[in-house]
Amino acid sequence: MGRRTVLVKVVVFAAFLIILFRLTDLMVLKHDFYQTIARLQRTFGRKVLIRRGVIYDRNGTELAINLERPSIYCDPKVLKKPQRVAVKLRDLVGKSTKEIMQSLSEHRRFVWLARKVSPKVARRVESFGFPGVGILPDTSRFYPLHEMAAHVLGFVDIDNIGQEGVERVYNKELAGDLRSRFNRRVYLKRDARGNLLYSGVDFESKGNSVVLTIDQGLQAIVESALDRVIEKHSPRAASVILMDPFTGEILALANRPTFDPNEPGRFRASNRRNRAVTDLYEPGSTFKLVMATAALEEGVATLNTRVDCSSGFIEVAGKRIRDHHRHGKLTLKEIIQKSSNVGAVKIALKLGPERFYKYVKRYGFGRKTGVDLTGESPGIVKPPSQWSGTTLAAMAIGYEVMVTPIQVLNAYAVVANGGYRVRPHLLKAVMSKDGEILRVINSGRGERIISPETVRLLKEAFMSVVSMDGTAPKAAIPGNSVAGKTGTTRLIDPKTGRYSYKHFVSSFVGMVPVDRPVFVAIVVIWDPKHGYYGGEVAAPVFREIAEKALAYLSVPREDNLKEHILVYNDLEGMEVVR
Amino acid sequence: MKKIPLKKLKEIDRILFFVPLLLTITGILTIFSATRPAFEPSHPPFYIRQSIWLVISLFAMVAMFVFDYRWLQRLSYYLYGIGLFLLLLTIFEGYIGMGAQRWLKIGPIRFQPSEVFRIILIVALSNYLQSKRSPIDGITFGASLLLFGALPFGLLFKQPDLGTAIMLFIISASLILIYGVKRKILLTTLALVLLLSPLSGKLVWHSLKPYQKNRLIAFVQPERDPFKIGYQIEQSKITIGSGRFLGKGYLKGTQGPLRFLPEKHTDFVFSVFAEEWGFLGSVFVLILYLVLVVRGFETAYIAKDSFSTLLATGISLMFLLYVFINIGMTMGLMPVVGVPLPFFSYGGTALVSNFMAVGLLINIRMRRYRLFY
Repeated sequence: MGRRTVLVKVVVFAAFLIILFRLTDLMVLKHDFYQTIARLQRTFGRKVLIRRGVIYDRNGTELAINLERPSIYCDPKVLKKPQRVAVKLRDLVGKSTKEIMQSLSEHRRFVWLARKVSPKVARRVESFGFPGVGILPDTSRFYPLHEMAAHVLGFVDIDNIGQEGVERVYNKELAGDLRSRFNRRVYLKRDARGNLLYSGVDFESKGNSVVLTIDQGLQAIVESALDRVIEKHSPRAASVILMDPFTGEILALANRPTFDPNEPGRFRASNRRNRAVTDLYEPGSTFKLVMATAALEEGVATLNTRVDCSSGFIEVAGKRIRDHHRHGKLTLKEIIQKSSNVGAVKIALKLGPERFYKYVKRYGFGRKTGVDLTGESPGIVKPPSQWSGTTLAAMAIGYEVMVTPIQVLNAYAVVANGGYRVRPHLLKAVMSKDGEILRVINSGRGERIISPETVRLLKEAFMSVVSMDGTAPKAAIPGNSVAGKTGTTRLIDPKTGRYSYKHFVSSFVGMVPVDRPVFVAIVVIWDPKHGYYGGEVAAPVFREIAEKALAYLSVPREDNLKEHILVYNDLEGMEVVR
Repeated sequence: MKKIPLKKLKEIDRILFFVPLLLTITGILTIFSATRPAFEPSHPPFYIRQSIWLVISLFAMVAMFVFDYRWLQRLSYYLYGIGLFLLLLTIFEGYIGMGAQRWLKIGPIRFQPSEVFRIILIVALSNYLQSKRSPIDGITFGASLLLFGALPFGLLFKQPDLGTAIMLFIISASLILIYGVKRKILLTTLALVLLLSPLSGKLVWHSLKPYQKNRLIAFVQPERDPFKIGYQIEQSKITIGSGRFLGKGYLKGTQGPLRFLPEKHTDFVFSVFAEEWGFLGSVFVLILYLVLVVRGFETAYIAKDSFSTLLATGISLMFLLYVFINIGMTMGLMPVVGVPLPFFSYGGTALVSNFMAVGLLINIRMRRYRLFY
């Protein structure tokens, strides 16, 4: 039996060794692989239902709310008589029998039959009691004012995730923090047959509400003014922004063309683009602010420094820059007032590239303003090292530089608020769903970037623009002082690649009342028909908006205000007496 | 048929007694965990039934070592005859379960004759072989192979219980070979088998049931698995593999309760155990089986006559084969043949017959000295 005993021993130990090796292989070496499969097959991710917070304007007007819109889903495996179900549901969910049948034949345990139907339809479907067909609560975003402030608000996708505008920027606030939930899903335990283990799982993510700096009344004024511009000049596009220069709070922002955020898919992408922050244009004469500020701050000129503009043109590096009219000798103030290109170029040349560029940067051109909106462009500003012979002269009059409307507005806000940097923004406060204020945005002013004396002089110069001798008398408002600047730039003709003589950008940027502006506003109109001068096309829009806005905000006329101050002084005197 | 004196109870081999008991208790705990309800309203009572079967099994084991095994030896042919008859009966009167007629109903009790038949076969074959001189000649070889190999194979194959049929054939053939066959006959047989294998392979293949064919296809070519038979093997591998070194912990396994693993408390109970107790626990269980098998072969080695040597060898071989095939199957080393893990898997008849086999080993060990007569 000797040899047989050995054989038996060998067989026994070999058998156990084989098992041991395989066990090591599966449990130690390939553990991670099998662990992953095990985890994946026993979990099922379901999308979280997002109940977004409400978006309010600064006065509590609801700009975005939610409607209860249940969704109908189906577990095709449990379903019986799919043909019957399809026929019954066809008219209720507005799909063809074929479409429904296709969903029902999918090899999944969860298929949407219809999303966001009316509660009435959902109740009806529920009453049929089809096995495998279920209703899940869902909401759909509703913008009760439709196009109003569409570009500010943005819109959401079918899962209530913000896609553009405030909806996107503050998605985390509005939708609730979904970072902890991987892929915006809730993970459930499931068994091999697809049964799901629901135990204390919260499918809903409730977000906070957001209060914007937008004033719906001002927004309405802006929207209707834009509608009138479209009617009158049928431009390719137009943008208006109203901002409090001291806080950077954006009071109104609108663009044309626009869209209804309730149905964003129905509109072209170009309609949904927030041109006020995304679109670049050459600012033209509005950019003379940089030249004027630099000249005053650097002591190169005073408001009364005279520059000879009598030739009507100036040649820089072989290129002629012209004025619209021949002016003769002009002071710096008159250069601004009459928007003389020759004068601006001469002063800029005197400043030189470095000193000029310093103020381009100081006003924030070539850099995003940081406004809390999607798609903001930083603009295009070349550093002096990349300048050609004509660049300095061109930039002095707002060419060879690309800016967004909000950048120009932000620069004028500095003048309006007395020389301080400011960050444009839309968020005023965050509110819990119970109405408790969680967070208020403190819009403190930033560092001083222009001296008070320069601010005073700039205000004086830009006030003269709206006088009868300036380029924009049409921006003047009876009873209140206005300071501002027109801009008229040629658009580049895409066919020739050269500046067009037919297509322009007209703009006006201004503040009112000048001593302590309630707002700064910019009007940019791309390619208007029937007239093109900023003073002709954009200035009246500014005036219309400013006039109505001052009335809406109950800002007293400045000529009356003087009396109020007198009364106030008297009161103070009385107090002293007491 | 002499009773052993009570004071000789200490002669009961402790290893042969406690190792199977420990394995069965571990098995019941694992069955409890594997059948935990995740969605069902209540816990299926498999663990209770298995506990009851354990008590019955212990009585059966004691019954197997209280009396001298010579009693069994004398009755072996009669028992073998009855066993064959029961197998035949199962084919015609069998209770159908899981697509096969493996159960016989006697009153309220259902039992699987094939499970008890394992023991009877080994006893009868041992008795037959010990009456011949080793190495056996051609006629004896042929007769034993036909009577104790082919005949039960045919009956079990017809049930159909391919797993048990193959297992028992392997056990019979191995036992005959271990006893010793004349070299000339051995070589001739080997040559014959090699020559006929293509033909017989075809013959066997065509007589297989479709589900049996699928199992083989799934094993040989897992990627070409038309009926998702490989699913079982795959899930079993996932279950074992996700256990890692120390396991997920008792009652923490997910594969069984969430119904990913089929046959979780019967054929694949080892996978559930491995998932919860990890590599360490699995090795511990393997060592228990190794100890049992080695003790069995040792019993054969020290047994006093050739009948008991053959019997102990046969039983030990059976345990080795069942453990290797079952665990191999759960790890994807073997095709799915539906063989339970001794002492561990849920199943009453199997548990009783395994404890009976252990009882016989204890019996042989107790009476290994001549003075015991």
